[in-house]
Amino acid sequence: MSDLKGKVAIIGIGEVPTGRFPEASAIYHAIESARRAIRDAGINKDNIDYVLPCGAVYSPPFNTELITGRVVEELGLKNVSKNCQVFSGGSTSSCGIDIAASLINSKAASTVLFVHADRLGTGVDLQGGIDLFATAGISHEWEVPFGQHYSSIAALAMTRYMYETGCTDEHLAAVCVSNRKWAELNPHAFFRKPVTIEEILSSKVLSTPLRAKQSNMLFDGGAAFIVTSAERARDITERPVYLLGEGGIVTHFVYSQEPDITRFGWARAAEKAFGEAGLTAADMDIAEIYDSYPIYELIAFEELGFCKRGDGGEMFLRGDTWPGGKIPTTTNGGMLSQGHTGGGGGVAILVETFRQLMGKAGERQVPNARFAVETGTGGTYMDSQVSVFGTEIP
Amino acid sequence: MPVKPKPVPVATAWTMPFWEGTRNGKLLYQKCGDCGTNVFIPRIACSRCFSENLEWVESSGRGTVFSFTVVENNAPSAFIADMPFVIAIVKMEEEGVQMLTNIVECDPYEVRCDMPVEVVFEKLSDEFTLPKFRPAASR
Ligand SMILES: [Zn+2]
Repeated sequence: MSDLKGKVAIIGIGEVPTGRFPEASAIYHAIESARRAIRDAGINKDNIDYVLPCGAVYSPPFNTELITGRVVEELGLKNVSKNCQVFSGGSTSSCGIDIAASLINSKAASTVLFVHADRLGTGVDLQGGIDLFATAGISHEWEVPFGQHYSSIAALAMTRYMYETGCTDEHLAAVCVSNRKWAELNPHAFFRKPVTIEEILSSKVLSTPLRAKQSNMLFDGGAAFIVTSAERARDITERPVYLLGEGGIVTHFVYSQEPDITRFGWARAAEKAFGEAGLTAADMDIAEIYDSYPIYELIAFEELGFCKRGDGGEMFLRGDTWPGGKIPTTTNGGMLSQGHTGGGGGVAILVETFRQLMGKAGERQVPNARFAVETGTGGTYMDSQVSVFGTEIP
Repeated sequence: MPVKPKPVPVATAWTMPFWEGTRNGKLLYQKCGDCGTNVFIPRIACSRCFSENLEWVESSGRGTVFSFTVVENNAPSAFIADMPFVIAIVKMEEEGVQMLTNIVECDPYEVRCDMPVEVVFEKLSDEFTLPKFRPAASR
């Protein structure tokens, strides 16, 4: 157990809208997100002493700039001791907050700026994106030669999960409908028009049973947040968001070697995170779940303990996860509706977690939200990462 | 659009015996001489006990489909001409290992979970032959 419970807090968040912005460069998204986070925290920028830029693996020149201090210079930060990249693909959110918190808790840092940005919406065309993702994180010896790619990876999990649990196409489409209900209320989301199960199930099949409208889209965008000690946070803001628990399990690199593609390490990761927080799924007011494909949102939702395995689909279908529902889930619309902004795209889901707990979520604000759980999973779902946050320390 | 060449396996020194095996019509896996674990995919050392005492053993070639998908759209460039084609995870029940492969020599829409399959070999280049699977002949 990491003993970080209640030691650190998030004091500021920043985000730019997700979409296609051919006129903007990736550094624009990074700097604008970071500036918004610093302003939101209301701190002097020179109090930031540690910068953690997230990897932008699909934009190599921009990635190199992030590694070599461009964020620090562009923002004119004068007291930064270290600028060091953090990256674990879709789990960068959970790993990033864990690393930031550990740095603060060990006194290696006092105020950390974490920033993610990329430009996959205009930096690459559709087939280029498919080809990139058909090699990145997929074994070049054991899977690439068979045509493996991210749609087929999601489809393999769907097929087996549906076979074992009786989950239907409607259930999986309902996850997308639920996320869209939230995106309708999110000005930063790319897809904001209501969508129906019928529309999703009549979109073209990519890899059976996965359909086009059950797949995330690549866009430009960025998100940032600022972390400091819980003690300092209380002097800075009236509503700090505390890290309460962290848990993770790294399971595989080669997808076909993962023994359980319908569960992964979620239950063990959740047990650690909830255990450290001293809370359970039943205590959560919000679930912010990484959703590059609906199957992963559904599996994580169930394994976190929000319901029995196989019962999640019904909950998404009948509105339990919608605005006003009993467990609001993925309240920014997720990658399926806000859009996927690259390897660190899950950072948007983390920032939404903070936004909700800070009471800054506008039209989609979950009333009286005190506790939230957030998840991330990188590569070909190589890990299951769970973080628990709250507005108070239980 | 010109058809892109198929990607060939990016092999390593310690996996070459596997590819030499498939060239000769054999599906090989490693068996640990110390703890008895069957190791696949091929490793430098046993992933259970770290022993380097690994010997190559021929597989029965029989397995079952753990999961599958028929790729109909948005395939990687080199595979567009093959659509629809089946990507599957096959479990080798006797050996207790699993692998990614394609199911061939059948209607892609006939493939089912837990269906018995058997290995066939498809030459990709002079150096590499891929192990693929087809529905098992009824036994
Ligand atoms: Zn061994």
